Amino acid sequence: MDFSFTEKEEAFRNEVREFLAEHHDSEGVRADGADIESAMDKLPKLLAWNQALYEKGWVGFSWPREFGGSGGGIVEQMILKQECGDARAPILGLSYMGLAWVGPGIIQYGTDAQKKRFIPPILKAEEHWCTGYSEPGSGSDLASLQCRAERDGDDYVINGQKIWTSLAMWAQWMILLVRTDPTASKHLGISCLLVPMDSEGLEVRPIKAMNGETPFAEVFFDNVRVPVENRLGAEGQGWDVTKHALANERSSIAEVTALHHNLDDLKSMAGECRLNGKPAIEDAGIRQRLARMQSTIEAMRLNGLRFLTKQLRGEPIGAETSVNKLLRTEMDVETGRLACDMQGGHGVLTGKSPGAVQGGRWQKNSLSWPTTVIGGGTPNIQRNVIAERLLGLPHDS
Amino acid sequence: MDFGFSEEQEQLRRQVRRFADERCPMDRVRELMDSDDAFDKQMWASMAELGWLGLAVPEQAGGLGLNWEDVVVVAEELGRSLLPSPFLAVTTAARAVDLLGSEAQKAELLAPLAEGTSVVTLAFFEDSDVIDPDGVATTATADGDGWLTLSGTKMFVPWGQSADKLLLVAREADGLSVFAVDSAAEGLTVEPLQLIDTTCRAARVSLDSVRVAADSRLGAAGQAWPLLSRALDAGLVALCAEMVGAADGSLQLTTEFAKVRQQFGSPIGRFQGVKHRLAEIYVATESARSLTYYASWAVDHLDDAASSVAMAKEWAAEALDRAGEEGVQLHGAIGYTWECDAHLYYKRGRLCRNLMGSPDYQRERLLAAQGL
Repeated sequence: MDFSFTEKEEAFRNEVREFLAEHHDSEGVRADGADIESAMDKLPKLLAWNQALYEKGWVGFSWPREFGGSGGGIVEQMILKQECGDARAPILGLSYMGLAWVGPGIIQYGTDAQKKRFIPPILKAEEHWCTGYSEPGSGSDLASLQCRAERDGDDYVINGQKIWTSLAMWAQWMILLVRTDPTASKHLGISCLLVPMDSEGLEVRPIKAMNGETPFAEVFFDNVRVPVENRLGAEGQGWDVTKHALANERSSIAEVTALHHNLDDLKSMAGECRLNGKPAIEDAGIRQRLARMQSTIEAMRLNGLRFLTKQLRGEPIGAETSVNKLLRTEMDVETGRLACDMQGGHGVLTGKSPGAVQGGRWQKNSLSWPTTVIGGGTPNIQRNVIAERLLGLPHDS
Repeated sequence: MDFGFSEEQEQLRRQVRRFADERCPMDRVRELMDSDDAFDKQMWASMAELGWLGLAVPEQAGGLGLNWEDVVVVAEELGRSLLPSPFLAVTTAARAVDLLGSEAQKAELLAPLAEGTSVVTLAFFEDSDVIDPDGVATTATADGDGWLTLSGTKMFVPWGQSADKLLLVAREADGLSVFAVDSAAEGLTVEPLQLIDTTCRAARVSLDSVRVAADSRLGAAGQAWPLLSRALDAGLVALCAEMVGAADGSLQLTTEFAKVRQQFGSPIGRFQGVKHRLAEIYVATESARSLTYYASWAVDHLDDAASSVAMAKEWAAEALDRAGEEGVQLHGAIGYTWECDAHLYYKRGRLCRNLMGSPDYQRERLLAAQGL
């Protein structure tokens, strides 16, 4: 084992720090989770941040240079994320889904023309993507999806519905899973299409979530036509493209920086809040839960480093990332609950209420965890993945 | 940046696993746990020949001069097989001697320890069962020129009944000291404890005015704690590795059972009520493994590894306890029988959970270390 960094890696760390000192205004732009509306207020500053990063080649850091990435190594990428995280800088690029899995999917499965067309606008944050996977009848059993695409000359004609499509109202493009061959077995009849959101016959209906925001939508397709050249991968290869994408999602969701920030904030709040007549930090139960949170985050960090080492050694990683996704689930729910518990009676006060603690931040947090807990595969699906792929237990059906 | 084991370490792991399979399969574990001292001296001699007892002992003192990571590799595999032996006891004692002893003391104590001819164990705990210097009430008082008298009662002394030498921790005017004392010393009584897990052994050691020479003291009078605490932390990491190995062993036993046991016309491992619990054990065990491996690196490379060690113990204890309990439950009624091996892992979990500080204690320790 060796947890040290090479001279070259340390030099890169210094380069990141210098970049942050120059471009990151920690007062103006803070990365504080998935709050879409506050992100919109900060948009001009975020775009400037994206532009500076792009010029440096650090959006899509590990992507090939020919597409505008840096061709950077895994360790440097970790250093970059760690330093930006420690400085509480915004995420590395604004085209969230574009960077997380659409881009990697296009790099792996796309044609040269698709790479040239789609990669640069993702890096420059000029185009945002949404993901058309789930349907009303196909959630955890995603491969049962029914949205149809039929060939008509050089086009596909799409009919059907998607749901829980995050950011559909803001995205210019959708990566869409459709059934192209209803006679094939359920996994083999699926293809992946890249669809403009302004297509004729495509309708977006926002859905209000339990936290009062509208983070996702229903999307309806009524004879929507897209050219065949917008298919990603071969016809019938859509499930492979998706598995690749979901593996990317599971690993990107597992990053621990934001969890660390929450923990630090909870620790300082525990010194300020009074619970049962004394500071919350003196309460034995609260102490146990804070410590548990810290050790869980540390376990996630170290699990991540073990996976990273496997990658560095050229070994495949797949289902193991479900481990951190499950731990992350536990943390995402516990964070808001613990924060509200520390506030005692005040824990029920939201937003602008008289007496609300920290502007109701933690109440909002405790109403927002399903984004990461249910998105990308529910906890029970992660347990299936671990049991079947890692322990070799029989499939459900 | 490399958070994994080297090819040599993987070879060592395979060697230990093969040894345990051949020399100590479950039938032999059961014979030993029912025997008087659970101590197979021939097996111990073989372990010494393979170099395992002196893995982290410096080469000039007769060891292999390797790292605590290597100790953890062996401990994990011994834990997986539940092989009864004083490996942890002796390895922890060796660490204490290496950290505290003079060159002469190291030469005298460590060579026979690594050769397997002298079982040495560290007697630290008393009524106080956690890694806390204030819990040591045993006293060492001057008794004439060059002599001291030790009085007190030591608890949870690992494999004390098989020990040739004890490293006794006692309080002097300025603080804690460690004395290497012959187990046959006059006034020293060793009583076996009856542990919940009979594949392990521990003793109570009563000291009734035991006279020891001042030159049996390791290090300066009353100054032992900073280095002693490091030896205890290293020992705790090795215990964590044993727990991770045992948790994996239990998970494997139960997973294989779930693949073959048929109910409602299907292997029970097809039911989510079963497979999800096994998946949760996997998550807990892998996380405990990551924390334990990192802690094994930390005790060699960081000045203060206590927080890393505390987190490893918290998770390893909970992973094994869960793996053991679910192992019994998921086997159904057969899991409650003496014949089924599930209870052996469960008992190891019950023992290790409370040794050297429970998970609750480790969480408190983690916060206290940050001044909270």
